[in-house]
Amino acid sequence: MNAGENDGEGAVLLCGEVRTCLLPAHQALDIRAAAQLLRLRADERVLVSERPNLYARSPDTLTGVDCPLPSATGAKVRAVGAVAVRGTLTEGRVLQTSARLGLTARGPDHRRPWGHYLVRPGTLEPFGRLPREAVAEGVLAGARRGELDVGLIADGLLTVLLRHPLLDQHPPFKSRPTRLRWTALPAAPGAPGPSIERLTLAEDELRTLRLRVPPGADPAEVAGLCEDLALHDWLLTTVVRLLDGSRLGSADGTAVVRALRPAVDHLLHLWMPRARLEPSLAALWDALEERPGFNRQWQVLVRRIRDQLALHAVPALHQEAVMAP
Amino acid sequence: MLVFAASDKGGTGRSVTSANLAYQRALLGDHVAYVDFDFGSPTAAAVFDVPGAIRGIQENGLHSYLEGETNEPAKIDVWRQTEHPVLRNRPNQAGRMVLFPGNISGGEFATDEDTLERCVDLLLRLNTEFDLIVVDLSAGRSYAMDMVLAATAHPRMRHVPFRWLVFHRWTRQHVIAAAGLVHKDFGILECGAGHGHDKDELRGHIRFVRAAVPDPESPLWSQVTPAQAAWMQACDEALRRLASDNRIGDSVVLGIVPLEPILQWREQLITEEDVLSKQIANKETLEAIEEIARRLTDDAYWGRP
Repeated sequence: MNAGENDGEGAVLLCGEVRTCLLPAHQALDIRAAAQLLRLRADERVLVSERPNLYARSPDTLTGVDCPLPSATGAKVRAVGAVAVRGTLTEGRVLQTSARLGLTARGPDHRRPWGHYLVRPGTLEPFGRLPREAVAEGVLAGARRGELDVGLIADGLLTVLLRHPLLDQHPPFKSRPTRLRWTALPAAPGAPGPSIERLTLAEDELRTLRLRVPPGADPAEVAGLCEDLALHDWLLTTVVRLLDGSRLGSADGTAVVRALRPAVDHLLHLWMPRARLEPSLAALWDALEERPGFNRQWQVLVRRIRDQLALHAVPALHQEAVMAP
Repeated sequence: MLVFAASDKGGTGRSVTSANLAYQRALLGDHVAYVDFDFGSPTAAAVFDVPGAIRGIQENGLHSYLEGETNEPAKIDVWRQTEHPVLRNRPNQAGRMVLFPGNISGGEFATDEDTLERCVDLLLRLNTEFDLIVVDLSAGRSYAMDMVLAATAHPRMRHVPFRWLVFHRWTRQHVIAAAGLVHKDFGILECGAGHGHDKDELRGHIRFVRAAVPDPESPLWSQVTPAQAAWMQACDEALRRLASDNRIGDSVVLGIVPLEPILQWREQLITEEDVLSKQIANKETLEAIEEIARRLTDDAYWGRP
């Protein structure tokens, strides 16, 4: 996080987007290969950790931008600065790229020398005053052509990573990538802690999340929370689809086992919410446990898969049960 | 799996038939992408009945993507966005059907290294997500054809299986043209070899679909005079000999689609309802398409003949 010491300094609105997909490689990458994949800069090392699960995170890279911000009211606000983007790999299997930025409440009416922005990675300054609410909603609604699109910046890094020669482009099963677009506004003074204002599934693969976080919260930590959320949402979505596609009950046993096997081989051990979250933000997960009930749904899915596999592991008994009157 | 739909001439029903193949596979539960590389005359919007969704895709269609003007090509969820009354009810257990349209006004363009890399990026991403990716190519020898031959020979694509369907009508000119597209100068095999494909192996990945074939046995022709019937038989025989002399004989034919007004005139997906309740399409046509859709992934029909 060395690059991010001034990350989001004075920001009154944080936003970003996380792209999550299955790593297109037949074998999961070990921790050394993961570090190699994510070595985006020669001058900074990849963060690797093996507890409580295998995890690697690239250093931040910066994308300089000078363009209008999306806005729900159509207000034209130009902003300048450097968007921070990083990649992560969990258990050598799930690849994420995450772009983030913090907007200050106001800025000068002209562009300053780039050096000014480069020492404030991840911070953008608006020209004049920032219409915070309009921009927050505009970001979630999606940028129009020519406006700042954090998703495209995240996708740009994803494209670079996916071209890496370490990847054999032979994923073990079909899956869909997801996108999580998020904004975080400062919580009201005296609020008990961070909170989720809104979490929606806009299209099949797009989620939008509106957060309230303690004023001064570290944007990198908030992005970390969103990455964690995106990872687990992707896991849920992917396992639900595997179950959907397996045609339980109607298909023959081997087909069901073949359809469910990728979940066991590659996904079930990945569930580990708040593995690396700062305690103050981890509390947000409690809300998700209540509704929509992430953990509960996951437990049910895991049990269903195990039950199915157990059922098909005893073909003889199963046959008898079917044949009995 | 990638399936490239090619033809030497227009009017072979390539687009409409390949769209129907995509539709049939989706009904079988596959997640299917239909990629419109028919630069110059994109027709997919009409076939899938998504004209409303297409409006405004001048800017981020596949042309813009390949030329680097946009990073994410537009896509249309057909089940959700179609205006076709039957398609709107996605059948239980059907897979996704997603259309990647070309730009409304975008012609052919030359490909360079960058375009090729972007094409590979796209095909690889689709391959992680979809069971079947149907790529509709322009008629004739085109930049798009050259680009996908280069893409499938690219080292990053080595694990992605692909197959070619070459559509042609059942006439002398079409038989000769289709054979030429594969076997003659600047054809698929020669271009493919130029990009590093093994010619024999590539030939094993190519099959032909005979389209708009009048079946002399069909009740449609039951009223013809004996002289006409004999003449039709003779013509059919002569065409078979011609096809086989041009190395596109029965052993490399994946399927035959009968002459079908609904494919020729309306260029739309044939639903079971068109056959059963409306009775505007022939049962034989639907069955022929279903059969080809099944054979797409049946290895018994592929490989070196």
